[in-house]
Amino acid sequence: MAEFLQAAVNGLLQGGILALVGLGFSLVWGVTNIVNIAHGAFVVAGAYVGWELHDSLGLNPLLGMLVAAAVLFVVGYGLQRGLVNLVVNAPVWMTLLLTFGLQLLAVNVFVKVATSDYRSIPTGWAARSLALGDVRVPYGRLVALGVAVVCTAGLVVFVERTRTGRAIRAAGMDRSTARLMGIDVRHVYAVTFGLSAALAGAAGVLVGMVGTFSPPDAARYTLFSFVVSVLGGLGNMGGALAGGLLLGLVQAFVGQYLATTLVNAAAFAVLIAVLAVRPSGLLGRPFYETRVEAR
Amino acid sequence: MTRAGAVVAAAAFAVLCLLPAGLAPGDVRTMTSVLLFATLASAWNIIGGFAGYASFGNVAFFGLGGYSVAVLMTKASWPFLPSVAVAAVLSAAFAALVGLPVLRLRGHYFAIATLGVAEGLREVVVNLPRLTGGGAGITIPTLGARATTHYPGTTGFYWYALAVLVAAVAVSAAVSGSRFGYGLRAIQLDEAAAASVGVRTTAAKLAAFALSAALTALAGGVFAFQQVTIYPERLFSVEITVLMVVMAVLGGAATVSGPVVGAFTLRLLDEYLRRHFLGTHLIVFGAIIVAAVVFLPQGVVRCSADAWRERRLGLLDTVRAYRL
Repeated sequence: MAEFLQAAVNGLLQGGILALVGLGFSLVWGVTNIVNIAHGAFVVAGAYVGWELHDSLGLNPLLGMLVAAAVLFVVGYGLQRGLVNLVVNAPVWMTLLLTFGLQLLAVNVFVKVATSDYRSIPTGWAARSLALGDVRVPYGRLVALGVAVVCTAGLVVFVERTRTGRAIRAAGMDRSTARLMGIDVRHVYAVTFGLSAALAGAAGVLVGMVGTFSPPDAARYTLFSFVVSVLGGLGNMGGALAGGLLLGLVQAFVGQYLATTLVNAAAFAVLIAVLAVRPSGLLGRPFYETRVEAR
Repeated sequence: MTRAGAVVAAAAFAVLCLLPAGLAPGDVRTMTSVLLFATLASAWNIIGGFAGYASFGNVAFFGLGGYSVAVLMTKASWPFLPSVAVAAVLSAAFAALVGLPVLRLRGHYFAIATLGVAEGLREVVVNLPRLTGGGAGITIPTLGARATTHYPGTTGFYWYALAVLVAAVAVSAAVSGSRFGYGLRAIQLDEAAAASVGVRTTAAKLAAFALSAALTALAGGVFAFQQVTIYPERLFSVEITVLMVVMAVLGGAATVSGPVVGAFTLRLLDEYLRRHFLGTHLIVFGAIIVAAVVFLPQGVVRCSADAWRERRLGLLDTVRAYRL
């Protein structure tokens, strides 16, 4: 029983990080219909920003997280405005290839600059844990889950309540009409992409705080983002959180009761099962599934 | 195929037949890899180009083909040629089986579901060590009494790769000009409309996926025998899928020559960068992919055909067409 509870707690805590990793990816996919293969590279970039700030200035990673988010926002805004906007109307695989090229470029720049050594942002408290009976809850991961929940809630409020948020939703629903209503879609797309990169950057710092990271991890985070987004469904900001927690639980239980080498296979099996039954994801709105090839 | 196309294809084939005589063994090996990638890109083009279903898991069939050959030659002591034939049939059957649920999805969802199939298959191979050797790999016996087929050597594999590419191009050309091929193009443009004018969309998509899988498995089988020892990480690497997509798309998706042109250009460019910019070649390669997607979204083949017809190079026209 303790084993089961511990696996469940581990799954939920890991799920929080996965949710934050996938949140921005889901946002960009839902609004601009771009599957950003370079998303994992943003996560790793954020981790490096946090690591560097801690290493050279001794900055607390939770403050470093804010700086990383700000830096990544600027990078994301610039990339969408200057590059990705150029191929938004091309067939699906074009944006996949473009962002794959960006990922390849970024990961190898990281390897060149920082080597492919595993790094970690050290803190005195992240690895210590709270004991609840037989179950141990590491503080670092608990904080990470908290940040994920706060970010998701913040994003929901931003997108539902603010003027820019409404513009983002409008552009996601019907780009042409949004333009007719006076929305600067180029800017809105860039803001969306910037937000996504900022969330990825924040997630990266958390990843570096509770575990290790290295450049080749980028591909794995992209993959997880994809699974999280599809499980949760597009067009619903809370979806990523649900998808992340579900993925975390599946990984934890498979790792506990089957084999750690089967974790990814299990994640994809769940993904395909969900898609076969409910193509719009668990909490997704059917609209986003029919809009797949929208021009 | 047009008459000019047939002449160019025949000339290219003649050059490829003469090539091993004039190249150093290392270069013959590089050319073998170019031919195999051209096969993979042509095979991807049948499902991804003609039918417009961008499979991001075609490496599943490459790995399945490679592992079928390795297991049949090692555990069942079969010779190479029947093994590779069975590998192709097996992959086609597997594609038809997973195609039933997966081909109902579209766009990004299809892409990721196929990616999931490839990743899942890799983990299955890792977790069946008694059959596949697991993560430690499997070695095909090439010497002594256990060897079922004499190891063909560098030039021998060049001929196998060339034969496989000829098969892939012949199948592509046949598909391109057939009623089946027009059905696939109709599906790419508008699946509902295609169904309404009598294209049996499910059957056509399954057939295209299975055909693509069989050709991919042939290349996987040749690659596995050439490598002697194969590992799941290498044979199911996502990068192989991405490379076939990049090659097919940058050469020209839904054309017969495009994937071949794309594979030759990119693989040789990659080799050049590897030799002259060791350490930074992947950075340069990434930048080239980005630039090519922005400036050549229609592919080299279509872009040069348009440039020839209009007598000017319209690189910025395509940027204007696809930008926001």
